[in-house]
Amino acid sequence: MSFEAISNFVAAILTLFIFSFLYKDNPFYKFAEALFIGVSMGYAIPLVYENAFMPFVYTPIFVEHKFIIIIPALMGSLYIFRFTKNLSWLSRYPIVFGMAIVGMGVPMSIHSSVLVQMRSAMLPMDNINTIIIFIGTVTILLYFFFSKAHRGFYGKVTNVGVWFLMVGFGASFGYTVMARISLLIGRIQFLVGDWLGLIK
Amino acid sequence: MAKLNVFDRMQKLDRRWIYLVVALAIILPLIIPFNSKTYVTEPTENVYKKIDSYAGRTDRAILMCFSHDASTMAELFPMEVAILRHCFERKVRVLTICFMPAAKPLMDYAINTAKEDYDVQSGVDYLSFGYKPYSLFLITLLGMGDDIAEAVETDDQGRKIENLEIMKEITNYNEMNLVIDFAASAAVYSWIVYARARFGVNVAAGITAVMAADNYPYLQSGQLIGMLSGLKGAAEYEKLVDIFAMNKDEYGNPDPREFSKEIIKESWIKLSDIENRKYKTARIGMNAQTVAHVMIIVFIIIGNIGYFVSKNKENHIG
Repeated sequence: MSFEAISNFVAAILTLFIFSFLYKDNPFYKFAEALFIGVSMGYAIPLVYENAFMPFVYTPIFVEHKFIIIIPALMGSLYIFRFTKNLSWLSRYPIVFGMAIVGMGVPMSIHSSVLVQMRSAMLPMDNINTIIIFIGTVTILLYFFFSKAHRGFYGKVTNVGVWFLMVGFGASFGYTVMARISLLIGRIQFLVGDWLGLIK
Repeated sequence: MAKLNVFDRMQKLDRRWIYLVVALAIILPLIIPFNSKTYVTEPTENVYKKIDSYAGRTDRAILMCFSHDASTMAELFPMEVAILRHCFERKVRVLTICFMPAAKPLMDYAINTAKEDYDVQSGVDYLSFGYKPYSLFLITLLGMGDDIAEAVETDDQGRKIENLEIMKEITNYNEMNLVIDFAASAAVYSWIVYARARFGVNVAAGITAVMAADNYPYLQSGQLIGMLSGLKGAAEYEKLVDIFAMNKDEYGNPDPREFSKEIIKESWIKLSDIENRKYKTARIGMNAQTVAHVMIIVFIIIGNIGYFVSKNKENHIG
């Protein structure tokens, strides 16, 4: 039996263990679930050690003698104190440095998510798409304006916004169904094709 | 005791019967394949055209960022293999990177799967930067805007990338001018916010269908140049590669064609004619997807009829 056949067999059995949950909760499902978590962690820890700790902590300090690295390394190790009740406040210091990224992200996010998006909603209304985008954007924004009661003509306009939102939710739901079915198809393709060899 | 009608019975149906029907709706079309037509959408075409415009150029490369684990492999893996196949076939230089430990084996698997049929060499035709810790994501992303060799330094085999053949004419985003992020999350957003906004790099997304609706606004505003959405996007890309990049002349020699909508309309590819299943995975999957969708639509219609019939009955009793 080749290595591929053995690995396919193990993967197929574990897939069936997970699928068995659809019938009802059982020890086989629990076993496969625990094994998955264990294997993921077992795989991630040496990978992170090899790709993060060794090149960015060990090698600079002990091989290249860049002792300045000791300061951020110690700072980072303060994260471990999250697990103690009395000293958990120490973990806030490395978090503070991490928050600098948020500061950098604010102007860029405003640019990409607000300014550029606004500009693309201000196109000349010379085709049906831009007209729909304009009506959708304005009516939805009005719907989320709560300082005025949604009654009368204003209420009718915000209702149009609700319809646009419903179309958006419908599209999201449709895509979600497609995604979930795709995942099932992927697994069944593996079982029926790679394992049983029934797909030509 | 009141007699139950068919809709009352269906509402009380054990959901495991539904699971069984869904399983059959997927298994049968996979075993008994048919050719459901794949319509190619513009976002997928745009990704294809952009990659193809780098064909044969040594001063251009694309970066494929793998930001997902095995749980979404069914949707994203076929598109990764299709894009890599396109690149290897058309001599487009490919660089790959990942910031998730669980993405590393998938990245290697995708490259190994696609390169089996090509005489391509790591460091010359493609290069894997390997796994980089997520804490270095922004530093790497921004650093590559100035100098890739400085931001990444070594590839997954520990070689200095500045010494490699593939990097000779590739310095930063000016040359590595297309980033495709394969994600089941909002990871692509970071490329838009930082790489696109700061350096003007072209960003495309290969995403799960769940994420597609969220990303359409970025497509409309041009911040994403193209997008492959779920298994459907993968099937579309597989088709484009078969029609254009893999085209053969009358003697069976490679004869890649320029992109044309007319050719797509005229082309009809019989899946059973493609021998290697790895290059039609998404299209076979879409056969099952089609049947499953029809079944779900039928379920929704029956469920709604049942709901209104029951409601009507309650009103009469009330």
